[in-house]
Amino acid sequence: MIGQIAYALPFLAQGLALTLWVSLLVVVFSLVAGVIMGVGLVYGPAPLRWVVRIFSDTIRGIPILVLIFFVYYGLPAVGLHLPSFWAAVLALTLFKTAQVIEYLRGAVGSIPKGQSEAAMAIGLTFRQRLAYVIFPQAFRRFLPPWINGVTDAVKGSALVSLLGITDLMQAINQVIGRTYEAMPLYILGALIYFAVNYALSLASRRLEKRFSFIRE
Amino acid sequence: MGYALNFNLIWRHFDKLWGGLLLSLELAVISIAIGIVIGLVLAVWYVSAGRVVRTIIAAYVEFIRNVPLILLVYLVFYGLPTVVDIAYSAQTSFVATLALYSGAYLVEVFRSGLEAVPRGQIDAGKAIGLTPWQRLLHVRLPTMLRITLPALSNTFISLFKDTSVASVISVPELTYGAQWINFNTFRIVEVYLVVTAMYLLTGYALLYALRLLERWFRAAH
Amino acid sequence: MSTSSKIDTPALLDVANVSKSFGSVEVLRSVSLQVARGEVVTVIGPSGSGKTTLLRCVNFLESYDSGSIRIDGKEVGFRDTGTRQRRSERDLAAMRAETGMVFQSFNLFPHLTAAGNIMLGLRKVRGKSSAEARSIAEHWLGRVGLAHKADSLPAELSGGQQQRVGIARAVAMGPKILLLDEITSALDPELVGEVLEVVRSLAEEGMTMVMVTHEMAFARDASSRIVFMADGGVSAAGPPAEILAADTDNERLRNFLARFRASHF
Repeated sequence: MIGQIAYALPFLAQGLALTLWVSLLVVVFSLVAGVIMGVGLVYGPAPLRWVVRIFSDTIRGIPILVLIFFVYYGLPAVGLHLPSFWAAVLALTLFKTAQVIEYLRGAVGSIPKGQSEAAMAIGLTFRQRLAYVIFPQAFRRFLPPWINGVTDAVKGSALVSLLGITDLMQAINQVIGRTYEAMPLYILGALIYFAVNYALSLASRRLEKRFSFIRE
Repeated sequence: MGYALNFNLIWRHFDKLWGGLLLSLELAVISIAIGIVIGLVLAVWYVSAGRVVRTIIAAYVEFIRNVPLILLVYLVFYGLPTVVDIAYSAQTSFVATLALYSGAYLVEVFRSGLEAVPRGQIDAGKAIGLTPWQRLLHVRLPTMLRITLPALSNTFISLFKDTSVASVISVPELTYGAQWINFNTFRIVEVYLVVTAMYLLTGYALLYALRLLERWFRAAH
Repeated sequence: MSTSSKIDTPALLDVANVSKSFGSVEVLRSVSLQVARGEVVTVIGPSGSGKTTLLRCVNFLESYDSGSIRIDGKEVGFRDTGTRQRRSERDLAAMRAETGMVFQSFNLFPHLTAAGNIMLGLRKVRGKSSAEARSIAEHWLGRVGLAHKADSLPAELSGGQQQRVGIARAVAMGPKILLLDEITSALDPELVGEVLEVVRSLAEEGMTMVMVTHEMAFARDASSRIVFMADGGVSAAGPPAEILAADTDNERLRNFLARFRASHF
């Protein structure tokens, strides 16, 4: 048994690499999209605010699995053919973007209105106000929940195994298919996911502490 | 592009979705009910226990929270029966998994709630001569519930959505129903639109009901 | 000091018939006010009389429904075409840089040091180099008596010190006019003096100022003119001695002053 599992380790490592790659792409894309849409939600004109609000509430109101199937099976149906890897990344990015929008709204919303006004009063333009006054302050409120939420991306990525993508979850399933050693492999897989996510959450706790001292 | 929406086949098979939704709710309610018991017992135990127990409970919480639900579902359904002599249906297996899973999240909610109960209230309970059990039942738990209700509501909604993972072991809940229609009728966009609406409506209805419950609870205590 | 300036030089600030409503509440009713260069005008009045709103319209933190506000002949918030078309974000920012504002709640940027607060506008709006901005910041911090606090964060300063940095931040930009919105209202009484002292010295140097305040004694000593607002309109205006006279025949003003004296002295 041990031998068989040891034999499978390189294969699992490849799966883990894919899991991390998917998670990284999702985290980066969703950060960009979520921050832009979050700014739209806070500062945009009413129609834009509604669009972002509906987007965020809809995405957060349905299971990730439904979102993944919707994107994966739905896009080809309307004529958009994405490789399954990118369909998976797109679906998870949509899910994570909705989260980032809410983190950003919360972080920016926590900054008193007077900060914007003082920045306006010295003649800063909208972009300058965001860059030099709002974002530096919002950053330390945004960071802890955002890093905490990175584990959601890693956990959510396990669902892409259902699209036939050989991530860690799928690699485990395939090794079990060959070796019939279900329990040891599931436990091994769980431990790997645990190690990755626990490390991430420890990092987020450390960052939270580091940024707490400048709270006014 | 130029995709023409046609919902006829969806309505013809709507019983799959409707039955699926009811099953999703059933799975959620039973799992959460068991999860609440696990969460309450462990949270109360945690705040009064010594180091060893605390470490064990924390390990359970951290482990569950850092592992994907789908893996836990596989582990309990496919893995566990290979090492212990038990047999259960996919549905029972999923309920057991989601109960353990929700338990881990609820321990955290309840624990932080218990720790937020003001010292003065417990002292007041002592002052009027309540026993530790009475203080727990009449002072700490009600106060803790009032503090945690908003977080609880969010956790419940999130657990309701998590029932969709049951589809991976063929439990015929809502997401499974959606996939069935997806593969058998190919009205793909339509079925996921309808299912999205069903999850949204149910989720927001649940949230509304829980908010009402919160208000009632606040008024009663 | 109190020579009322009814001379022909065009007003630096010209507020003409400005009206504004929040929903169904009319907060400004056809307010007109001219401020000449070097003048210090104090706006007094009961709360809800529109003083603060008027001030916030002058640098377009609030828009207004009708009328015009000009600084040095230039319309503040709207394009000079007379069409009430809002200025672009860039133009608005440039216009706002010409007015300094000091806030009741200081509104210092908590993530920047005292010097950093002052340098931000100098660098990003005035385009000064870091070194130049730093030396201007140090100059103004010196002027408000806080040279030694240049590298302190706002959280490390007292309220009075924070407000002095707020003033330095506003004047360092070299504004044509300084707007002071109840700048001592959030301060403990013992800290009010140090802030007013700074304002007084700026007034003596000829800085044009419009200030909303409840410090009547200060208003009397430091301003060239006092404007009394009530119910969104200018109810009385004139030299301090005239406006603050106990026997004014403006009944509203008399009541306001009587109530004010009863609660403040």
